[in-house]
Amino acid sequence: MAFDFNSLFAFIIFGVTIGVVYGIVALGISLIYSGLDIVHFAHGEMYMFGAFFGLVLVHNIGLPYPLALIGAMVLTALLGMAIERTFYRRLTRAGGGYTVAGMGMIICGFGMSVALVNVAYFIWGAEAEPFRANLNFIPRLTFAGDIEVPESYVLTAIISVILMAALHYFLRHTKMGLAVRAVAHNKDIAYLMGINVPLMISLIFGLACGLGAAAGVLIGPMQSVQVEMGYLMLMKAFAAAVVGGFGSLPGAIIGGIMVGIFENLGAAYISASHKDIYAFLLLILVLMFKPSGLLGIEAKVKA
Amino acid sequence: MLQINNMQAGYGNLRILRGINMEISAGSIVTLLGGNGTGKSTLLKAVSGLIPLMEGSISFDGVDITGLKPHERVRRGIVQVTQAKEAYPAMTVEENLMLGAYTRKDRGAIKADLDQVYEFFPVLRERRVQLSGTLSGGEVQMLVIGRGMMAGPKMLMLDEPSAALAPKVVLDIFGNINRIAKTGVTILVVEQNVRMALILAEYGYIIRDGVIMLQGDAKKLISDPAVKESFLGGSVADTSKILHN
Amino acid sequence: MRLLNKTLVGAFTACVGFGAAAAYADDIRVGITMRMVSENGQAYGQMMMDEIKGINEAGGINGMMIKATLMNDECKSDKGVANANKLVFQEKVHLLIGSSCSSVTLPIVDVTAKAGVPQLVPHSTNSKITQKGSEWIFRIPVSGRYYGGVNAKYVGENIGTKIAYICAADAASVGDCANLEKQMKARFGVEPAYRADVQEKEVDFRAHMQKIKSMNVDGILVAALAETMARALVQSYEAGIGADVRRIGSSSASNAPVPKIAGDAAKGVFFAAAYAAADQRPIAKLFNEMVKSRYGIHAPDHDFSQAYDLVRIMEIALKNANLTGSLADDRTAIRDAIANVKGYQGLASGPISFCADATPQCRDGNRTAVLIGYTKGGEDFETEVIARVTMEEDFGLE
Repeated sequence: MAFDFNSLFAFIIFGVTIGVVYGIVALGISLIYSGLDIVHFAHGEMYMFGAFFGLVLVHNIGLPYPLALIGAMVLTALLGMAIERTFYRRLTRAGGGYTVAGMGMIICGFGMSVALVNVAYFIWGAEAEPFRANLNFIPRLTFAGDIEVPESYVLTAIISVILMAALHYFLRHTKMGLAVRAVAHNKDIAYLMGINVPLMISLIFGLACGLGAAAGVLIGPMQSVQVEMGYLMLMKAFAAAVVGGFGSLPGAIIGGIMVGIFENLGAAYISASHKDIYAFLLLILVLMFKPSGLLGIEAKVKA
Repeated sequence: MLQINNMQAGYGNLRILRGINMEISAGSIVTLLGGNGTGKSTLLKAVSGLIPLMEGSISFDGVDITGLKPHERVRRGIVQVTQAKEAYPAMTVEENLMLGAYTRKDRGAIKADLDQVYEFFPVLRERRVQLSGTLSGGEVQMLVIGRGMMAGPKMLMLDEPSAALAPKVVLDIFGNINRIAKTGVTILVVEQNVRMALILAEYGYIIRDGVIMLQGDAKKLISDPAVKESFLGGSVADTSKILHN
Repeated sequence: MRLLNKTLVGAFTACVGFGAAAAYADDIRVGITMRMVSENGQAYGQMMMDEIKGINEAGGINGMMIKATLMNDECKSDKGVANANKLVFQEKVHLLIGSSCSSVTLPIVDVTAKAGVPQLVPHSTNSKITQKGSEWIFRIPVSGRYYGGVNAKYVGENIGTKIAYICAADAASVGDCANLEKQMKARFGVEPAYRADVQEKEVDFRAHMQKIKSMNVDGILVAALAETMARALVQSYEAGIGADVRRIGSSSASNAPVPKIAGDAAKGVFFAAAYAAADQRPIAKLFNEMVKSRYGIHAPDHDFSQAYDLVRIMEIALKNANLTGSLADDRTAIRDAIANVKGYQGLASGPISFCADATPQCRDGNRTAVLIGYTKGGEDFETEVIARVTMEEDFGLE
């Protein structure tokens, strides 16, 4: 059989559309890592809660999809901030300021993940819920060779890019974004600049959780919504974050897109029955040749 | 302006400052001298609010600020210039400077202060879009001082501005500290470079093992045999001349 | 919300078991391990316990009470095997009922064969279950090898022979795929037009659908567990594959989450099953009403009918078995009594008969499949019966 360039192109396009979603979840994980010095193992659950909030806003409240997306992001951000204030902050303090608190924080993240899954189970049950959203306002894209990209994938890609651009603008061109970067780099100096560090930490956490929620609302209509959906997304997003260079924000996005493309190509040309391992295969490959990840050039200086 | 009463502070169970009393009057230049590990940096952190007091109190402008968080103290005008290595290397020079003005909203005044910083340290204007990680040691020191000026301080506290710098650069920087003082800002300089600091300052405190060992007019301290013996060697007259021009 | 209810019901059925109050020395101990993670799963588990309670209240088995222990294996092999071991060696059950997912049932067959405990399979369809040569295994549902033949006949004659296969990695779906592929080749001499082996819980079928779309196939087989199948169906329409391309479901297509999650994408999907809620027989109508009024389930699928038939067949066998009080002898007696069940007419679409040989011919007792099509998706889905087919005993065997 002659090599089919059209389908190769299609696999890459679909890889990118799912990859940007991994990217925005990875972006949240990286934000939290650079801002709070913790690896947030319950971030998959923020994605799951976001998807459920979106579903409730669309189905039960009757909001149009774009408003539900924003609503879910806000609600999840508030949930994340509440969790950070109530649980994580004590631990990060016990570790000495906002520095790495080591094992305790990691276990707390795992515990939070299990707890949140169970809370969601009590509210929404174990069964997958269909997320029916009206996406007719989005155009269907057709590429050369009759590759059609459906509305939901177009939407996913567009919104992810908008979110990334908005985050970039916020961090690079606003005063508060400057403060977030300062806090991420060194909390003591940020304090000396007159920045309200605890508030900024909440903001970082909320932002990261809001991004996770956006991914959930974007994926929901494609894959249905289920309490256990967070785990796999967390794994993929971690792989994306590490591939791109842990803590690097552009790296998170590039890592996400790479993971998306790599796993689609692996599924297409090697075997689709073990699709989830390709993300980790890529991870191992990248770590072998560049242990700091693709964009992990700048070694972080921690006080 | 700043009054410290029986200040005791440290880390965990370790008590480093063991009853410090200091008083700094408005518009003066005061220096705190001591060797490594005597508690100089701890004292600055306690005044900035980065570490809590175990005992004692601090008041500023007649108001007790002992319980205030660091960012609240910055808003009241207590601004600490960090050590040079603590610029934000991934931000540009101008971003670093604007970060200094984080608590201020008056755009016009911020712009004026930025111009003043560039006037004091022209090299920063040349490097304004460069990442601060690419600057030389002396330039970074100028940057962190400039960043402190941007906060619109009433009192500026400097943590070893002469550390690891060539003598010529140190002179330049101390000259500029003097210029800042002349704009009405109270200065507290923490130093190991005793000679330079005492030439710059009007009053000096000498700290050892967490207590103030000696204090007095800078001119008296320079000639104090105990200080001379433990810290100073050689003549100070020539550097003094350059500095006060 | 309603799920609190669900959870509580689940917790009670799982923990309390039944008949503790009536327990005395002559109990017949029955262990059940099934997939009970969904609303349906908990309901059919509860239904089995309720039916057993009914038998006890009506006087039991020749005066003896049935003491049933219900455990949830969540469709996970390790849990299923652990449950089976606990039930066989700790609870010392006379009869083991299990399980739902083929991947769980397969290893349990070895447990019961080694321990010498009769095992009634409520839901699993994988052909290999009865091909292991265990003399202790009996299957209530229709074996996958029969489904393959039924599907192939209908697909080849009514839809076409250019079929794309999407095969998820769970044991039931792997079996369903292999069976249809084998029968399509045997009957019509065709290979799959496209075949994708995907993960058990795959979420993203877009690349496959895109490829299938470009091939102009007659039909797509989606062989996967319910939620995975529903996602694939939705994504097939998203990819722009029209309704003229028929979607063929694997055995899991009968599960309620398929029409519920797939919604409009479920319409037109057809599949072979052992029971159709659209069945017009009086017994089926009564059953549907009973399940609806007792458990609030709209249109029970064959997971319910099979669970119900299983309890009835168990009741018949236990009544016929000559129980003496010796555990090993009683287990053998119950096995032989099940092997003697002939021509049972229940909810299943045809009669169920077993025999003594440890062969698939004897132990795949249910050979009648019904082809069902969804005429409407969503919570209040509707189905129709397309055809009813009984296969030969040795159909699909090498």
